[in-house]
Amino acid sequence: MSRHERIVIVGIDGVPCGLMKNLSDEGVMPNFRELRKDGVFTKMLSSIPEVSSVSWSSIITGKNPGEHGVYGFTDIIKGTYTLSFHHSSNLKAPTFWQKNESKKCVVVNVPSTYPAQKINGVLISGFVSPDLEKAVYPPSYLEELKSLNYKIDIDSEKGHKSRRLLFEELFETLKLRRKVSESLWEQIAWDIFMIVLTGTDRLGHFLWDAYENKNHESHTEFLEFFRHVDEFVGSIDSRLEENDSLIILSDHGMESIETNMNVNVCLANEGYLVLGDNPKKGYNDIKNGTKAFALEPGRIYLNKEGKYPRGCVKGRDEDRLIEDLVDLFSRLERNGKKVMKKVYRKEEIYQGSHLERAPDLVLLSNSGFNLKAGLHKQQLFEEGSFTGKHTQDDAFLYVRNRENLSIVPEEPSVEDVITILDKQIEGE
Amino acid sequence: MKAHNADKTCWNCPAAIFKGNVDFRACGQSKEGLKKFKEDKQIMIECERRPELGYFDPSITFEECPEWQMTEYGYLLKNMRVMILGIDGYLGWTLALKLGSLGCKVSGIDNFFRRNCVKEKGSHSIVPIASMSERLQAAKEVLDIDIEFRNIDILDRENLARFMKEVKPEAIVHYGECPSAPYSMVDCDHAIKVQYNNVIGTLGLLFLIKDIVPESCLIKLGTLGEYGSPLTGRPLFEGIFPSDAVLIWDNREWSLGGELTPRDPVSFYHVSKVQDTFNVYEACKYWWLRSYDVMQGVIYGTYTEQVAADERLRTRLDIDEWFGTVVNRLVAQAVLGMPLTVYGEGEQIRGLIALEDAMECMVRLISSPPEPGQYDVVNQVSGLHKVSELAETITEVSTEKFGRYTKIQRLENPRVEADIHPFEVVSQKLPNMLGFRPKVSLEKEITRMLELLTQPEIEERIRKVSNTIMPRTWWSGEHKETRVLEIYEPGAKRVEGYEPKLIVGEPEKQMLEKVKVKIPVVS
Repeated sequence: MSRHERIVIVGIDGVPCGLMKNLSDEGVMPNFRELRKDGVFTKMLSSIPEVSSVSWSSIITGKNPGEHGVYGFTDIIKGTYTLSFHHSSNLKAPTFWQKNESKKCVVVNVPSTYPAQKINGVLISGFVSPDLEKAVYPPSYLEELKSLNYKIDIDSEKGHKSRRLLFEELFETLKLRRKVSESLWEQIAWDIFMIVLTGTDRLGHFLWDAYENKNHESHTEFLEFFRHVDEFVGSIDSRLEENDSLIILSDHGMESIETNMNVNVCLANEGYLVLGDNPKKGYNDIKNGTKAFALEPGRIYLNKEGKYPRGCVKGRDEDRLIEDLVDLFSRLERNGKKVMKKVYRKEEIYQGSHLERAPDLVLLSNSGFNLKAGLHKQQLFEEGSFTGKHTQDDAFLYVRNRENLSIVPEEPSVEDVITILDKQIEGE
Repeated sequence: MKAHNADKTCWNCPAAIFKGNVDFRACGQSKEGLKKFKEDKQIMIECERRPELGYFDPSITFEECPEWQMTEYGYLLKNMRVMILGIDGYLGWTLALKLGSLGCKVSGIDNFFRRNCVKEKGSHSIVPIASMSERLQAAKEVLDIDIEFRNIDILDRENLARFMKEVKPEAIVHYGECPSAPYSMVDCDHAIKVQYNNVIGTLGLLFLIKDIVPESCLIKLGTLGEYGSPLTGRPLFEGIFPSDAVLIWDNREWSLGGELTPRDPVSFYHVSKVQDTFNVYEACKYWWLRSYDVMQGVIYGTYTEQVAADERLRTRLDIDEWFGTVVNRLVAQAVLGMPLTVYGEGEQIRGLIALEDAMECMVRLISSPPEPGQYDVVNQVSGLHKVSELAETITEVSTEKFGRYTKIQRLENPRVEADIHPFEVVSQKLPNMLGFRPKVSLEKEITRMLELLTQPEIEERIRKVSNTIMPRTWWSGEHKETRVLEIYEPGAKRVEGYEPKLIVGEPEKQMLEKVKVKIPVVS
């Protein structure tokens, strides 16, 4: 079998397999329709929890969270209750560009790669990246990005202010992303090129109803945005050479929100979580007597003695408490509908040497229930301004390998992407 | 007992650098609303002092943070970088030593405006003060304090900016203003000089803070005189109406809660302070700066532990008609046996605070910064007194303890002010939210002053400039002597007029909670 020259990975954040299928069938995404004729297009399982930081970390390392150590966008600083945000140094497993140091890689906008670490090639971090200055490696590319007014992400506050601004932000960010990728494509003699589009996820959160409802006033604009995404995919494809490989994928799916459910309210209502009255203290407002608390979206941590400042759960009581919590969440219903699809104990889903940071339980909700972990909320179920939420079982994966389509497993998950990539690198 | 600032969090800490507003509901980030607390989003900070923490949410309390260390005035940021504008002045120098002794890294600017103005009057500080270089050397020798000083005019923004970038102050105490009502009323040139220095100096400073140290807290010296003394007896709230204040007119009613209270300045100097108030208030609103506006009562006294530690560390004490505040002036007169001068009826009521107490208040304010965008006001007084009663107390102490008997004289009042007026001052924040309890009684500080001022060398210095005490600056613009209306024996004059009222009790809890919502966060 011939060796592939180059590999391109295009991430389309937060897009379910069904949407890609429908929009390509319906002619909104003609380029993707053409690609489907020539490769494997399948559903893919996302990570648990189904959030971008965890999922993309699994995609770029091929590991489960127990091995790469990333369980969400946030964590608690050891020995405190202070909420910390993901830092690229928290990723404990090597990425494909670290494992293949001899390959020149361009990596653009992959979530949770901030601050940008050293790479043989170029890396521009994705969400969450507070400062562009620290989001670029090598720093010599910073000036170019600044001159383009490059945006790491849409400004979500603008999205809240007006729908018009939301679309302006989405189109502008996509345009810049394309411009930067085309520039890097030409400037660098790369072996692997990875770019992630995240506007699709933001649009899904804000306006999933505009996708599902053809009469929605923003339905046309929703489709227009995906038309642009498809044009971007087409432009990438048009520049590929015969032996180049192409992978297109999402990190998780999206569906409509029926209601938001505040996990910490559930814990507080049942007496597992005791909070003070100062929201500004965040998790530092956790009081004595707390047995468990939740981080976004549905990660439950036992307040273990010795692990947290006001930890009170003793080792001998942990199993019993876990049982109680599994029972509590498994029974939870709204209007006769079970809220949880599954309540996972950490050992059921995570394996590896970084389990000490893992949540003790992870909640996976049923369709329509959007799990949130706001601390000082009052209502167990409440409406919100968003209409789309992540799904775990219908991300998508497309692989074009003209010679061997069997490199894609039958039911792939985000952790399998690296194996496919490795096989292509090796020229299986 | 828990320290007053134990529950403050990174929201209040100048080391917290606000980096992003993350919306996990939309998986989006924003630079907008960066310093605005909202339950549905996550604010991300970096700690300038603890970079090892990475990015985190601003929720660590002072009590839990190792950078905030317990002192007798509550938690104080370890080696806190405090810049004092006007560090050579009566208060600036005293505070520099106090903060230095608490472990703060003190820096400051001064262009010796005050020394020059007093010289212009033909007077001098009756307590001899060392040159700045001698002061700095003595601070090091005696108290082991290093003070970073620059001779910079507050109006010289280029050099001030350079110094601020170098120091990166975490708190800025703004004493860099001309603090004299009579000086601003001498003539057109003096009025312009005062307003230009004070208003433009402060406005420029606000821009520099925005650009260089936006998380730093500005502790700005205002004056109780900004409020005037309303003849209706309306209480002088702490800058902002409490939540239950209402305006009734035409059978209709509006809440005044959260609005700035009326200002009624009584000189062009006071006008400059009022203009500052508005500029600072707006800057907090536009740029999420944070500030305490300190409505300080008339300050008096000579003592703090640090300035008393060595002759070279003493702070200045002025008694001339321009810069001598009422108690300081009257005590100096008592030393010489001159009749103590009161203006008009002498029934004017003033809020007072002793130097030592005022310095403690400033430390407590520095230790308890407001949140981003929060403009807050404190009325910094420890007691209210009628001027004629002050004269009585001073002559009583000087007679009984120092054998220096004086009479009291009433002069024509060169100012445009009510001689007789009601006066009710609310000062609830310092005692209830910042843990301040006055330690120095009027009698105690007068005694300490007389002990110092009756030293022969200082008495001689008072005598040399005693001709500068009598007021010659008329608000009317006339240039003439003030004539004596009456000279009387202490105790001979019947006290009339209104009784002052100082409200220091804890505000009702319900009201406080409302205030918390309505007042501090300017959105």
